[in-house]
Amino acid sequence: MSAETFNPDFKGANKRFGGSSQPTTSSWRKRDNRWGYFFLFPQTAGLLVFTVVPFLLMIGLSFTSWDGLGSINYVGLANFKDQLHDPLLWRSVTNTLEIGLISAPVGLALALILAVAIQQLKSRTLYLLLFFAPIVTNTIAIATIWQQILRPDALVNIKISHFFGVTPPDWLFNSKFALIAVCIVIIWGSIGLNVVIFLAGLESISPAIIEAARIDGAGPVRIFTRIRIPLLSPVIFFSIVVAVISSMQTFDVVYVLTNNGGPHNATRTLVYHIYDLGFIRDEFGPSSAAALILLFLSLTLTLIQFGFQKKFVHYDQ
Amino acid sequence: MKKKIIISLSIGLGVALLVGGLTPLYAAGKTTVVFSTWGAPSELTRYKLFIANFEKSNPTITVKLQPVADYSQYHAKLLTQLAAGKAPDVFYLGDDKVGKYVQANVLLPLNSLLSAKTSTVKLSSFSSTLLGSVTKNGQVYAVPNDVNPDAWWYDKTVLQKAGITDDPATLASQGKWTTAAFNAMSAKILASGATALMAYHYWGTHWSWITSQGGTVYDKIGNFVANKDPKSVAALTTLSQMYKNKTFAIADDQPSGDGSDNQFVEHKVAFYPEGRYVIGTVTAAGSQASYDIAPWPSVSGKAASTDVAASFLAINAKTKVKDAAFKFWSAYVSKAGQTFRLSSGGNAVPSISGVDSIVTSSNYPSHAQTFLDMVHVGYTNPAIEATVPGLSDDINKEIRAIYEGTDTAQAGLDKIAQLVLVAKKK
Repeated sequence: MSAETFNPDFKGANKRFGGSSQPTTSSWRKRDNRWGYFFLFPQTAGLLVFTVVPFLLMIGLSFTSWDGLGSINYVGLANFKDQLHDPLLWRSVTNTLEIGLISAPVGLALALILAVAIQQLKSRTLYLLLFFAPIVTNTIAIATIWQQILRPDALVNIKISHFFGVTPPDWLFNSKFALIAVCIVIIWGSIGLNVVIFLAGLESISPAIIEAARIDGAGPVRIFTRIRIPLLSPVIFFSIVVAVISSMQTFDVVYVLTNNGGPHNATRTLVYHIYDLGFIRDEFGPSSAAALILLFLSLTLTLIQFGFQKKFVHYDQ
Repeated sequence: MKKKIIISLSIGLGVALLVGGLTPLYAAGKTTVVFSTWGAPSELTRYKLFIANFEKSNPTITVKLQPVADYSQYHAKLLTQLAAGKAPDVFYLGDDKVGKYVQANVLLPLNSLLSAKTSTVKLSSFSSTLLGSVTKNGQVYAVPNDVNPDAWWYDKTVLQKAGITDDPATLASQGKWTTAAFNAMSAKILASGATALMAYHYWGTHWSWITSQGGTVYDKIGNFVANKDPKSVAALTTLSQMYKNKTFAIADDQPSGDGSDNQFVEHKVAFYPEGRYVIGTVTAAGSQASYDIAPWPSVSGKAASTDVAASFLAINAKTKVKDAAFKFWSAYVSKAGQTFRLSSGGNAVPSISGVDSIVTSSNYPSHAQTFLDMVHVGYTNPAIEATVPGLSDDINKEIRAIYEGTDTAQAGLDKIAQLVLVAKKK
């Protein structure tokens, strides 16, 4: 086939289609563009209506005092000042960061170990199915089941007292253990996705490199730390960014597992704090201000991670 | 050309569907009243029966029920609807939220409507002690559709097992149901391995305990005074000691799957302050004969003023069908309406006077009159806690800190006084 038939920029192509008013190249382009916009329109409209506009309104609300019923009063930066002086906000930030610092590295480390182990197996389907099942299960369902598992008289505590001979903790009503319980559920619920991602990353490493390292005398540990990890670093970096952002958004597990932010606010996360202000106390201004603080925190953490990217992430094979 | 026709037809169909979806389904010649409430499907059955009966008597009015399954989501939805101007015409309000809606002027004032000659319901039919949180400057904005005092349900099987021969309801009728009598019983109950008292963690429990022990929580003009009242401090200290020595357990803390209702019908709990709806629980368990009710024990032995949980029925101030809405509202809260809703399987106590037989005619529990006596002397959620969202939650957290020993009763009540002061400024 020649370019003159298929190249829309070829001026001669227009003559092949006959008709008295010949469409020009630019009109073809315009027609194509129109169809493009037409198909983009539903998604863009949804994004505007349900994301962009509410986001802009939220920014506006953060400078006001409004309880949903009365008049909206401009209060300037008062909401931000109040929030930054609110011990509950700082407790929420601390809890959220703790959840991120515990669940992200532990979850990713476990996922990496599991991925390496699964890679050695010939028959992987069953294991992948088992680990991936929580990913496709509703988080509320997961939290509801774990709420039963972590009851003081339930399986986990029975086994703890049987094997260790100690009084097991009240996971959900003890402020020292409630956060750990939340982290356990988050790790359990998200490990499958990271296993699959890491496995794909490990599979993409050329066997020739591993073989070459073995020939040079490298042992399994050295191969893992000096070859697999560096070559896997882009995937690990992606997973860390996603895990940290995801931990900043922890709400559903906390809401179901522990009531009202947990015992003595032990599991009060930033998103729960936003929900509490907005939907329990009807303080939409402070709630919006707290949401912007969360956005700032998430962006800061992400930028910090990207700052470390150059030093720790290797994109060359 | 074909493409243009297809596109035109698609757009036309889309517009038709959109308009059809947005157009209210009003039957010709009928007025539609939208009515919203919360409730599980089993509870909604009774509402639907009432609506069907009302529509039969009022053929020009159609009532559209807009239920919300979960109480915790109900007010968030209502708030959104009010803000958008799409709120129902008649709706329920919880006693922990109603004050806010009264203050916001989104409810139709009722005095003039109720005092009209044509009105089938009169304001004087409702006890004034139940209207504190719905009255502003002498104007009433809602009335309780029904109420539930927290009567002390007790399990005779548990008492018998603990070697207790006295009957709390009999002691109460003799004016001898004292705190000392309860303390003596609870020691025996604890020794037998059961929980003496299990109650939900909310204003009804902690404030009722204080007032039953002779304390005062709020004064007549709504100031929080419990922290300045030695009897209140002493009462809360006692309750926290009961919590620590496991005489008293919080119902909310019980594991789901073995909740407080379950434990009560399994004879693991002696006293369970709850409303009339427990009749359904014990009936389903097939053990009605084992249970009866008594008022809260008091220092003197005479029944004190204690909590009455309520939900309120209000009319949207911006309703476009005021006459029909008021007609439905009146029918709902009237003697006939409450009789219809609360008889044979009803789970609450009427809020209107003159229909006490709803509660007493079934002769269950044996001392059912106690429900009515408690309503006559009881109080609903304090106005400030009903007005400021989140205040009750903050108070609950502080009370729990007192129970757990993180704060003393005095320190905790001082903090609560401060919370109320801040809330009043909002």
